[in-house]
Amino acid sequence: MKILLVDDSGTMRAIQKRCLYKMGISEDSIVEAENGKTGLDKFIAEQFDLVLTDWNMPVMDGLTLLREIRNLNKQIPVIMITTEAERARVLTAIENGVSDYLVKPFTPESLGAKLDRWVSAPA
Amino acid sequence: MDISFINHFINSTANVFSMMLSCPITRTSLALKTGHEPVHEVSSVIGMSGSDTGSVVLSLSKELACKAAGQMLLDDFHEITAEVVDAVGELSNMIAGGAKAQMAHLELQLGLPNVIVGLSHRVYFPGSVRPVSVGFSTPWGPMAIDVGFESTLNGDLRKLNLRQDVAVETV
Repeated sequence: MKILLVDDSGTMRAIQKRCLYKMGISEDSIVEAENGKTGLDKFIAEQFDLVLTDWNMPVMDGLTLLREIRNLNKQIPVIMITTEAERARVLTAIENGVSDYLVKPFTPESLGAKLDRWVSAPA
Repeated sequence: MDISFINHFINSTANVFSMMLSCPITRTSLALKTGHEPVHEVSSVIGMSGSDTGSVVLSLSKELACKAAGQMLLDDFHEITAEVVDAVGELSNMIAGGAKAQMAHLELQLGLPNVIVGLSHRVYFPGSVRPVSVGFSTPWGPMAIDVGFESTLNGDLRKLNLRQDVAVETV
């Protein structure tokens, strides 16, 4: 499984990677990006099975990235992991095709439970 | 703006420290802030704009910042590194985001966090805002949150030089 992880915070990327490693995902199965533009460039350049993205990022935000991804691929799961918790924001993400949503802050257990639904670790 | 907004930031701070760091916090002080200097060595500033405009400043002692980063990154930090700066910025982002969610009627948007290291800087809040400063203690060291908001509508009226006693009802 190939996962694109997009967040401008290295701390957040590290926390999410750690969770993925525990689920059996190898380091070279994860591609990181610091903003939506870099994330989109990498999405176009490679084949991915899952996208995890923040919302508020410089250069290109996660909502714009989501829209761009959906223009290219209607099926790939995209999970938004963000501080945006208002109902209106969640609805906006859903309307733009987000597959799942996790609000920061989160416990390791809630992150694991969220990712468990979408991650397929190799046998 | 209703001063009770500060409760949203206090609750959000406790929530973030609990969920992300498993670190209990205790509120030790609550007062209008005097001066513009940060209370502790590492400060993260986030601007918020919408129906009200303001800023939130998370100020951590060096020891707390290092310990918090270490907890999130499963590493040991003894000096303020780029990783510690990033972790502090993310903590302030989550605190501001959690509080913002409780004030949805203000339709606030967050800026990206700016982290400043050292005590020789000043943070000025917009307009005539007098921020509220909340002090906390934690097992890893002290911290503070300074929050100040100004109603955008009231600010616009002042710019138009209208009478100060004109009542403006905030939502």
